[in-house]
Amino acid sequence: MSEPSPGLGSDETGLLVVGVDFHSAELELREQVALSGHEAESALLEIMAHPEIAEAALLSTCNRTEVYLSARERQKAFRVALDLFARNAPEIDEEGCFFVLHDREAARRLLSVAAGLESMVLGEPEILGQVRDAAALAEKVGSSGPILDRLFRQAATAGKRSRRETGIGEGAISLGYASVELSRQIFDELESRSLLIVGAGETADLVARALHDRGNDRIRFVNRSDERAEAFQERFPIAERVPWDDLVEAVTESDTVVTTTSAPEPILDLPTLKTVMRARRARPLLLVDLGVPRNVDGAAAGLENLFLHDLDSLQSLVDRNLDRRRQEIPRVEGIVTEELQRFDEWQRAREAQPLVARLHRRAEEIRRQEVASVQDRFPSELHEELEIVTRALVRKILHHPSHQLRRGSREGGRARLDLARQLFQLEEEESAEEQES
Amino acid sequence: MTTALDLAPAVLLVGYLLVTFDYGLTFFSRTEPRVRPSVGLISVWSLHLVYLVLLGQEHDQFPATTVSQALTLVGFTLAAVYLLLEWYNGDRSTGFWTMIQVSGFQALAIVLRGPVPPRSTLFGEPLFGAHVFLALLGYAAFAVAASYGFLFLSLYSELKGRRFALFYGRLPPLEVLERMMTAALVVGFVALTGSVLTGGFWMHREEHQLVWNKDPMILLTGFTWALYGCALVLRRARQWRGRQTAIASLAGLGIIVGSLLVVRLMLPGFHLVPG
Repeated sequence: MSEPSPGLGSDETGLLVVGVDFHSAELELREQVALSGHEAESALLEIMAHPEIAEAALLSTCNRTEVYLSARERQKAFRVALDLFARNAPEIDEEGCFFVLHDREAARRLLSVAAGLESMVLGEPEILGQVRDAAALAEKVGSSGPILDRLFRQAATAGKRSRRETGIGEGAISLGYASVELSRQIFDELESRSLLIVGAGETADLVARALHDRGNDRIRFVNRSDERAEAFQERFPIAERVPWDDLVEAVTESDTVVTTTSAPEPILDLPTLKTVMRARRARPLLLVDLGVPRNVDGAAAGLENLFLHDLDSLQSLVDRNLDRRRQEIPRVEGIVTEELQRFDEWQRAREAQPLVARLHRRAEEIRRQEVASVQDRFPSELHEELEIVTRALVRKILHHPSHQLRRGSREGGRARLDLARQLFQLEEEESAEEQES
Repeated sequence: MTTALDLAPAVLLVGYLLVTFDYGLTFFSRTEPRVRPSVGLISVWSLHLVYLVLLGQEHDQFPATTVSQALTLVGFTLAAVYLLLEWYNGDRSTGFWTMIQVSGFQALAIVLRGPVPPRSTLFGEPLFGAHVFLALLGYAAFAVAASYGFLFLSLYSELKGRRFALFYGRLPPLEVLERMMTAALVVGFVALTGSVLTGGFWMHREEHQLVWNKDPMILLTGFTWALYGCALVLRRARQWRGRQTAIASLAGLGIIVGSLLVVRLMLPGFHLVPG
């Protein structure tokens, strides 16, 4: 894919995105082209040094690196972006390692990314913040301009609307968050509930992080090994360690217990849990067993007010949630199309702006000439009044045509712009301006 | 006035159906915010209140003299109890299940509409009207409690059985359902207590020769009152949790409905008192 896509003419201006994501490249390559905040800043400055690029923004996350460009010369702008990738990953030119989109499709790409449609985990929430960060960085560096600024704002709107108006971001899709989601179906005011994690490994990390993200700071944990317990506590200083010998007492006091050990035998058997449930006096207990092999005796599932879930049930919950998110894709795509249409309308209205300005300049020129030719016939004390009256006259006459030109352009009426050029003889002025530039 | 009163039940039915649809959207789509004021329900319910007041004025008696009037009053009290619970808990995701019942009662009230009998001295008595209203409010609250009992048990069984089906993710947490169920039980018990007291006071004042232990309706009311009273006491004393309370609510409603049907078959009216 070393050659640009066929739509890239050598001298066309327009929007362009060159990127690498999990569809086009393996993780290793994505890691090579990924840019940290500081690197992205330098890269943007470097890109902007090329005169064929008018505006630039860079979106770099763990799963994608995408360069958005408003190009004066598309072919050259494409090479600049590709060279940026090739610097750290020379193999980028290999077939299918990157993608190129232009104009409307480039704009749609950013809107879809912000809406979560292009994420590895469909509808994940972090991407919207990352899109905003990319826009902020471009603004800070000065590489942003009216087109990319507007496009990123439209993308942020698409992202917000997708999450607010559809279920694309609903339901937990990781084991840690699925445990939190289960808790939310049992307990009110989860933030004030006590949680016990049994184990201190990677899974314990995931659960602790998910709960901490949801504002729960009452986390306790038990672990046999001091070394792992200390490492866990370093990662989660808010977590309180409970001695292993107090495990049963800690389970009795907690609302949610998540077990994550790899102990060969169940650490919570049926008689123990019967005692626990008696002591709790029918207070519900959520027991999430993420251990392999299982840490909790499966027979405990029959105890009243004890909700026992294991890896299989959590996986089925995650699958169900992902399936629901997939069902929301058409609705999100509808939102993306709506926001894309708004962006298109804005761009077309923008096209009318220079013509409207020219029309006003031409009218002003005629007004001045006419006023100058008749000015002497009026007493000098009326000259100022003559200026005011003629200016107001011109303004009033041009108000409606200007409005109609902007509106016509927004609605895709290029013919109306051409007609205005002919009617008001603006073509000559246009060609004169072009020659000057 | 008569034309407006004739049209009102149909207008109310349309209003309640729209409200049911709105709550249905909240429950099934899960994308609407769960906490927002039920402007639609408050509007229709207020209209219902105005209708009942005008109906009472038109016939100069408490508007529960016909089956149709009693049914629309039941719908009205069900909506009132639900509104109270929604205001208390700030959760509107369960409204659909009560609004189906309200719409059903209102539809039945239209279907079973008949001529209003001549003014009865019994229903012209304000104290007797209060007695009937409180009784209906009490039974409506028990019906709402049973609805929450059903929702609680459904979600409980999905969570226990590790099935994430219709109710999972659409209902508030079990603890909230339990709180709403208990609140409905308390409202019902207080209203029924009020009904027993006003009924007893009215009987005493009118010097009715009614022998309380021979009137099936009085016996039924007393039994219901004792049943729910026991359930509330046991809940506190034996630390009953949601599941037991939910089962008790459903069983209680079953007993009430069954007994009412039996009483209805035994007597021409609800009481032995001549109306």
